[in-house]
Amino acid sequence: MIAQFESPIRMIAQPLLRPRTARILVVEDEVLTRAFIAEELRLAGFRVIEADRADDALTYIKAAVEQVDLVFSDIQTPGSLDGLQLAEILRDKYPDIPVILTSGNAPPRHVGIVEAFVPKPYDVTQTIALMSAILAQKSPGEPL
Amino acid sequence: MIDPCILIVEEDLLVRTLLAEYLRECGYLVLEASSAGDARTLLEDGSRRIDIVLAEVKSGEPSGFALASWVRTHLPNTQTVLAGTIATAAEKAGDICQEGPTLSKPYDHRLVLDHIQRLLAPRDRNNRA
Repeated sequence: MIAQFESPIRMIAQPLLRPRTARILVVEDEVLTRAFIAEELRLAGFRVIEADRADDALTYIKAAVEQVDLVFSDIQTPGSLDGLQLAEILRDKYPDIPVILTSGNAPPRHVGIVEAFVPKPYDVTQTIALMSAILAQKSPGEPL
Repeated sequence: MIDPCILIVEEDLLVRTLLAEYLRECGYLVLEASSAGDARTLLEDGSRRIDIVLAEVKSGEPSGFALASWVRTHLPNTQTVLAGTIATAAEKAGDICQEGPTLSKPYDHRLVLDHIQRLLAPRDRNNRA
């Protein structure tokens, strides 16, 4: 029974496979901010998925398109979920995915559920270093 | 030499991400926008020269047509490619890839389309239920 599924799966998946690089899902509705951090992350060697809504980010993770290694989300996002609600869902359903939240406002009291909070405006170099440190802690010895 | 830059305008994150990844594999720098409005913000920002805009026709307000018209007027050196369906978008991406900075396509665009359709199928089924 398994054999009949082997061929099509291999045919579709192989060309889309790449060497393992950490994938960061960035959730930010301000397009210039998102494009900037995404480009810097790509230059640093990460794969980046860009979402402008927390709902879309959750849909992407649920669809299991590719493993997401870290989520970097603004707290204030349009749609039915905000960044903090997304973080709460991920903590319950996908506890292996670390979350870093960011906001221009003061952090909410229960922001402690996530790995880190980065106030806006943030230093991109320091923020990427923080992501790298969290990923290294998560999977010691694996290339980022 | 700076790699040519494509702005992909597509509302659906799953579709946009896979098309964008494909075009990056083809050697392009790729910017992503989920709406024509966001696309205009990136185009007006001007911090990067955008060579090609690949947009879905229905990309919210303003529409892809309106975006194309704006690009023609304000950025005559930027080419606009409109796609009405996901299949057309994948096909257009394949064409762009063929003309791209790398010498060969990393894989056929039909594989991207197939992958997208497989991902969208369960969601479409749920929406119909």
